[in-house]
Amino acid sequence: MAISRRVFVKSGGLALFSLGLDPLFLARAAFIPYRLLPSPTVSDQPVLVCLFMRGAVDGLNVIVPHGDPFYYRERPRIAVPASDVVDLDGYFGLHPALKALKPLWDNKSLAAVHAVGSPDATRSHFDAQDYMETGTPGSKATPDGWLNRYCQHDAEHADTPFRAVAFGPELPRILAGSAPSLAIDDLQAFGLRIPQPAARDKLTRAFEALYEGAETGLLATSGRESFEAVRRLQQANPLQYQPDHGASYPRGRIGHALLQIAQLIKSNVGLRVAFLDATGWDTHVNQGASEGQLAARLQELGGSLAAFATDLGERMRSVVVLTMSEFGRTVRENGNSGTDHGHATAMLALGGPVLGGRVLGKWPTLDPAARYDGRDLAVTTDFRDLFGEMLARHLGATDLSAVFPGYSVREDHFPGVISS
Amino acid sequence: MRVVPALVVIAALGVPVARIPRPNPTGQRPPLTPHDSALHVLNRLAYGPRPGEVDRVAGSGVMKWIDAQLQPDRIPDPEVERRESSFPILGKDPGDLARAITVVRRQRFGTRQNGQDVGPPGRPLLLPADSQAALHVRQTMGQLQQLAVMRAAISERQLREVMVDFWTNHFNVFFGKGADRAFTPSYIERTIRPRAMGRFEDLLVATAKSPAMLFYLDNWQSVAKGAEPPAVARMARLDDARAEQMLARMPQGLNENYARELMELHTLGVDGGYTQQDVIEVARIFTGWSIERPQQGGEFRFNDWAHDYGEKTVRGVDFPGGHGMDEGLRLLKLLAEDPATMHHVSRQLCARFVSDDPPDGCVDDAVAAWRRTDGDIAEVLRAIFVSPDFWSPQAVRAKVKTPLEYIVSAVRAVGGDPDTTPRLAQVIGRLGEPLYAQPSPAGYPESQEEWVNSGALLLRMNMAVALAAGRLPGVTIALDSLVPTTEDAAALIEAADVRLLGGILTPHSDDVLRHEVANVPDPVAARALVIGLALGGPEFQRR
Repeated sequence: MAISRRVFVKSGGLALFSLGLDPLFLARAAFIPYRLLPSPTVSDQPVLVCLFMRGAVDGLNVIVPHGDPFYYRERPRIAVPASDVVDLDGYFGLHPALKALKPLWDNKSLAAVHAVGSPDATRSHFDAQDYMETGTPGSKATPDGWLNRYCQHDAEHADTPFRAVAFGPELPRILAGSAPSLAIDDLQAFGLRIPQPAARDKLTRAFEALYEGAETGLLATSGRESFEAVRRLQQANPLQYQPDHGASYPRGRIGHALLQIAQLIKSNVGLRVAFLDATGWDTHVNQGASEGQLAARLQELGGSLAAFATDLGERMRSVVVLTMSEFGRTVRENGNSGTDHGHATAMLALGGPVLGGRVLGKWPTLDPAARYDGRDLAVTTDFRDLFGEMLARHLGATDLSAVFPGYSVREDHFPGVISS
Repeated sequence: MRVVPALVVIAALGVPVARIPRPNPTGQRPPLTPHDSALHVLNRLAYGPRPGEVDRVAGSGVMKWIDAQLQPDRIPDPEVERRESSFPILGKDPGDLARAITVVRRQRFGTRQNGQDVGPPGRPLLLPADSQAALHVRQTMGQLQQLAVMRAAISERQLREVMVDFWTNHFNVFFGKGADRAFTPSYIERTIRPRAMGRFEDLLVATAKSPAMLFYLDNWQSVAKGAEPPAVARMARLDDARAEQMLARMPQGLNENYARELMELHTLGVDGGYTQQDVIEVARIFTGWSIERPQQGGEFRFNDWAHDYGEKTVRGVDFPGGHGMDEGLRLLKLLAEDPATMHHVSRQLCARFVSDDPPDGCVDDAVAAWRRTDGDIAEVLRAIFVSPDFWSPQAVRAKVKTPLEYIVSAVRAVGGDPDTTPRLAQVIGRLGEPLYAQPSPAGYPESQEEWVNSGALLLRMNMAVALAAGRLPGVTIALDSLVPTTEDAAALIEAADVRLLGGILTPHSDDVLRHEVANVPDPVAARALVIGLALGGPEFQRR
């Protein structure tokens, strides 16, 4: 059968793909016991979505300590005026651009953890991101990410290629490692884009056969994973997805990625851990206050998170979104109406299992005597305790020492985001 | 399809039969033949071979070819020169571009751009996606990207193009940041390209002075504590209050961004030995390194009034007070000559040319050449290319291609002709490497872990199939003179493998391809299928 000349599909939407199980595939796939059909019990499986804000987000302008006098003293040009802040508890407030999240605070599904960060002193983005993704601050020798190490120990849920998915063109460090994970840039474009299903099927199997013969290594493994993932995704049939409950995602990368995560969750393909990242937080110059650079980014973030929660509706009862960032920014604004690299920052947790409506962590205040290096918000919660809580209490992980080597994650250090 | 004895047909096609030897049962690979050596250098020093090129290079001598590539200015490159005339961006300077962007922005927003200021406080540095100015930006960006892709695909000075890509990542700037839209084109043309194979220190200094880098890493706004611009001083003589207002709008302090990345990324490396205090001192040294009217695409200017003339100490070295721009040049020289820099950059070069985690041998050879020649990049490269590590069996086909390398090598393999639209560059962007659009100062990554994942592989397979069918945007192909259609499956596959891919297909792949074309009666479709599968398969992902 000749290949169709129209090999490019311009707009999205996969054609229906018949469930033609190739007997050869079954034999080849014997090495990985993938389930062939989704089990009904996956529909409520817990999902952790990690949203990495790359560039060191200014936690002090996200969860604004408007009750702390030093906040206004140190930020004459970029502090969010008290009249603009969306008050949360009389001391902290939300940046106004995040007002879409206020209803989630009110219904107790949104919590913040403040003064959280890394014990390591580095102010290098790349090092600090590396440390936060590998889960070993101070050590550059760690080859894999903490989320991947979690997956390595989560044998029970290893029977789907969609257990760990990163949305973006590259697989991030946090998911690098021996446990298979997928990097998907666009769900609808995932797979070979040939209109005729039979031709597409034939070509897919041909490529699959080629990659079966590849020398062992990353190419071979990724190749095999690709085809398994294509198969399962097409079984789940993610055609022309429409968000539910009137959810409207803002335009932009964050909304697009969260929409697809929601789609995957609802497709019941066994997604357990999802990752997305967002850039543009490195506000050295002209950060803005209630409006401006940071506000614009927060607007997109807040709108996207709110849409995600709306879209999933009831399903949010077992989904948690956790934001993170490699460090925070200086308490005092710099000479360019911006902020330089700091230390502790604020992280947000959103979802049904979250004990929301609270700012958690131990607030050290912005008093100069309490600052890190005399200039930054001090870290009072090690990020590994927060991430550890997510894994233990939300995903049911039992062996955290393997996930965070060299660190003893203790339950009594958990910030208390998830009910025990 | 009839099965004709393969050798008969191949002899008729006049195609030399040469394939990469497979490892024997003990796992040892035999030493490289001239053919394999030629393929190896074309995969490393170039963006892969064009049809017939492996034999040409093997025939005239691999070391001779390397030697020629190390002196790019002596290689005629008429085809590239001819095509460059179709890129209007080459005729524009930063001033032209900045003016055009400003005009469009004014039309759209109706506001005046103050030449000295960044803009009103809080104005985002990135324009909204749907504005006229954004459209102009995209067009400029598209041209710039396509220019790089065209050169990579067509130029005879391949090593130089590879080095330009290397330095573009090493000294990364982000096109999307504010005035960098106006500065990036001349940054590539006048700062990076002429110095890609000269002395490292020259390149380092040129980037330090480039408006593109000064803007990207904010140094143009870094001023000494208490510095007062002349305009403010003049105003103060007339009207104190207004002077105060002017001063409030001006940059008012030290910015550490460039100082940090200069040491962490450009020279010493993150473990090269420097402290936070050193970063501050370096920032002080570079106060005053600025841009004349950046929003109008101005040139480098040293602002005396902004410079910190106090004494400094950097990594234990004293910088006495009273020095202006010269102390920055002195610092750059010290950094360029530092052993940590030599090691850091040499290691990165070896990661590009040898393997993701390069052996110490080639790194040491590179460092030795660096020392001996005072940082002559061409000589450092020469040392790498003669080092045993470069030629070891472990190094051959050890690297996985980045999106740029993958698409360009595929286009070259089929003798493709890229046009002057940005479409081919956009394909590369879709695969994850939009040129000049990397916000991180570290540039695009080098190692396979960063690029190889299921989603990316599927996209590559899509592109390969499209290219082979003549449907990849931005490039045309003409296969008849390279791989004539034939009813003979084995001959077709052999011809495609040897003439286009350099003989890299394994017997397993051979079998798969034979099986696939068995039921394809149309010879043109069969050829497209074979080439599409081969280009999208695992062997061609490597270089």
